[in-house]
Amino acid sequence: MATTVLPRPKAYDDTFFKPISLWLTTTDHKLIGIMYMVTGILSFVIGGIFALIVRLQLSQPNLKVIDPETYNQLISAHGVTMIFFFVTIFLTGIANYMVPIMIGARDMAFPRVNLLGFWLVPVSILLYYSGFFTGGALNAGWTGYAPLTERAYNSHSLGVDFWALSIIVWAISGIMASTNFLTTIVALRAPGMKFSRLPLFVWAQISTSILLLVVGAPLAAAMILLEFDRQLGTQFFTTAGRPVLYQHLFWFFGHPEVYIMILPGFGMISEVIPVFARKPIFGYMSMVAALFGIVFLSMTVWAHHMFTVGMNTYVEGFFMLMTMLIAVPTGIKFFNWIATTWWGSVEFTVPMKFAFGFLATFLIGGLTGIYLASVPVDTQLHQSYYVVAHLHYVLFGGSVFTIMAGIYYWFPKITGRMLGRVLGEWNFWTLFIGFNGTFLIMHTLGLEGMPRRIATYANPAWAATNAIITISSFLIAISVLLLLINIVRSWSSGEIAGNDPWRANTLEWATTSPPPPYNFERVPPVRSFMPLRDLRESGEVVEEPTPVPA
Amino acid sequence: MTSRVFRALITFGGLVALAVALSSCDVGGLHPIFPNPVSPNGQDIYNTYLGISIPAIVIFLGVELALLWVVLRYRRSTQPAGYIPPQVHGNVPLEVVWTIIPLIIVLAIAGYSFVELQKDFQPISNQQMTVIVSGHQFGWNYEYENGVVVHQEGTLAGDVTPFVVPTHTLVKLQFRGTDVIHSWWVPAISGKTDAVPGYDNFSWLKIDQVGTWRGECAELCGVGHSTMQIIVQSMDQNDFNAWMDQQKSAASPSASPSASPSK
Repeated sequence: MATTVLPRPKAYDDTFFKPISLWLTTTDHKLIGIMYMVTGILSFVIGGIFALIVRLQLSQPNLKVIDPETYNQLISAHGVTMIFFFVTIFLTGIANYMVPIMIGARDMAFPRVNLLGFWLVPVSILLYYSGFFTGGALNAGWTGYAPLTERAYNSHSLGVDFWALSIIVWAISGIMASTNFLTTIVALRAPGMKFSRLPLFVWAQISTSILLLVVGAPLAAAMILLEFDRQLGTQFFTTAGRPVLYQHLFWFFGHPEVYIMILPGFGMISEVIPVFARKPIFGYMSMVAALFGIVFLSMTVWAHHMFTVGMNTYVEGFFMLMTMLIAVPTGIKFFNWIATTWWGSVEFTVPMKFAFGFLATFLIGGLTGIYLASVPVDTQLHQSYYVVAHLHYVLFGGSVFTIMAGIYYWFPKITGRMLGRVLGEWNFWTLFIGFNGTFLIMHTLGLEGMPRRIATYANPAWAATNAIITISSFLIAISVLLLLINIVRSWSSGEIAGNDPWRANTLEWATTSPPPPYNFERVPPVRSFMPLRDLRESGEVVEEPTPVPA
Repeated sequence: MTSRVFRALITFGGLVALAVALSSCDVGGLHPIFPNPVSPNGQDIYNTYLGISIPAIVIFLGVELALLWVVLRYRRSTQPAGYIPPQVHGNVPLEVVWTIIPLIIVLAIAGYSFVELQKDFQPISNQQMTVIVSGHQFGWNYEYENGVVVHQEGTLAGDVTPFVVPTHTLVKLQFRGTDVIHSWWVPAISGKTDAVPGYDNFSWLKIDQVGTWRGECAELCGVGHSTMQIIVQSMDQNDFNAWMDQQKSAASPSASPSASPSK
């Protein structure tokens, strides 16, 4: 079943420029995946612009670049955009594209649910931004704590209402996608693709989908109750009600959401590292077990966001212990990744650089997480810039770096062209330096007493640090610009990739780049968790010559 | 590719140096750790922070050095031509070791933190003085047992009315929210405590030196959030008594401080 080397006429159209009617109605998981990813990247740019305005405002004490109300709206929009509309959406997209191919399926189990699930995303995004035209969008942070979001303190606009509706739609879309992923992986695996042979990215998607299925509904419930308060005059979370109940419901979603945003990243790193180290993943079974350890633990830690609201100290002790225990499965994954590269023949391509950038920075986010889990220490660090630094080490050093690794790794499969290496190197180093320059020294601001979400500050001692942070944040912006230029240039005129430019292990590389609508002409046999490597070694797939530059 | 090795070295070396610099000395007037604590509960938090830092720094250096070793030693260009890595699939004893050791470390940290939690975070009953701290949009009210109320209204201009406590006195702070959630935080004293509508929340302080310490509201509470500055001033008992007499006489002509929650 040797894949052919010569370009041949294709029975399908693999250019990006398809008729709009096709984009609007397609149920092809690959095209839906691309739309998810493009939506995600556009949100990344928009959320980044919000962040840059916020950084300008904070670059010096007592600035008035924007007024406090606008500031509150922008920090909220930054958080909501990045968490709900960028990271989660982009990761859903890349999984939508890759999971069916990696398990040897032709499409998702429910293609039309997939279509509906995707189109709910722009609805959700437009609902949220509509708030800006009703007198102001959400202005209480992405967490939208009640009673600040209640009518008594927030009646000047419909921003909160549009946010709540947007999140409800988003949760429904997420539940659809999760159901679809789980059904696809359970029901549509190719012959031979046992659970014990699933690629780790697919395992990561199973764990992510389970999490979103469990926690999506409580999130929607919190939003519905908040809307009841605002529009029907109930008293769930009002000053007279139970504001802390809102926090419990929100964080029962909110903390697992952190793992929804990082587990697929873990999966991508587990794909990238073995390929470029030329070794199988170290401890496949313990990697899977660690994923499910994290899934379980992440649903038992939500109140660690609430150590200052005044709970029983034994309850706080429980949440502290469970939170710290997450370090154990995460540690297993870390050590296994490093062990995979040990004695390897490690090629530092751009995706591998991002994978190592992820390991080097996510470690810091993990370690500061231990400080934050300790209740006494958390009462100092909570809601300070230390937390802002920590969460960006986890979400930027974690999710964004893994997403970058995934983009550079899978771009050739999706477009048929390599994502330019030279610009990619610049992209990596500017991002790595800009990111650490922005967020490393931010820890000290928090220790020194600067709370997060303040529109301005009078303390001159914080000025120098804030100035450095703002300058570094613009280096991140330059880096993202380089990525966008690279994507556009490579997509139109990049080097032709061929089927398997990285000599990878998994099935998506056994088909053409981009794959045909039906993915495989004949599903390749699966004999281990590295099916493509088996085929290469047994001579069933002929290695292609190095692709000729276009 | 020596230049690449060199670049990697510089980057990692720079990061480590920066981390070490931040944890050992003051940078531009910034303390790398909390301001020196002046209350025993703050001191305990400070010590817990330092205690966690010992394993954290060891793990940080260990893992980053391991990554650096991989970058320098196992990159393809430094391996012999045609080198095929050993196809290792795992090593159960090794994996058990790196499950058990982190488990022991985090259990130790959790235990250490829990002891400190029981010691300093229970509501106390042996206080020598109680002050009711209530947050509102945008400012703090401090109500002493004798009915005197200090109004610390929000400002960014530096004219913050101080909340005054006597030195060598165990003061119980009882927090109340009257509208939205606020959070009272003075880093030099101790951690933050939320003022939540509907129930009372507790903390305490005991300051043994004369001085002023600043802080601010740490929970986003609306447009005036950044103006909710806090100044705590400690005076010795005589000065405190004089200050209290002055407050009483100032308060008596104009009675009824408006502390009713604004809807």
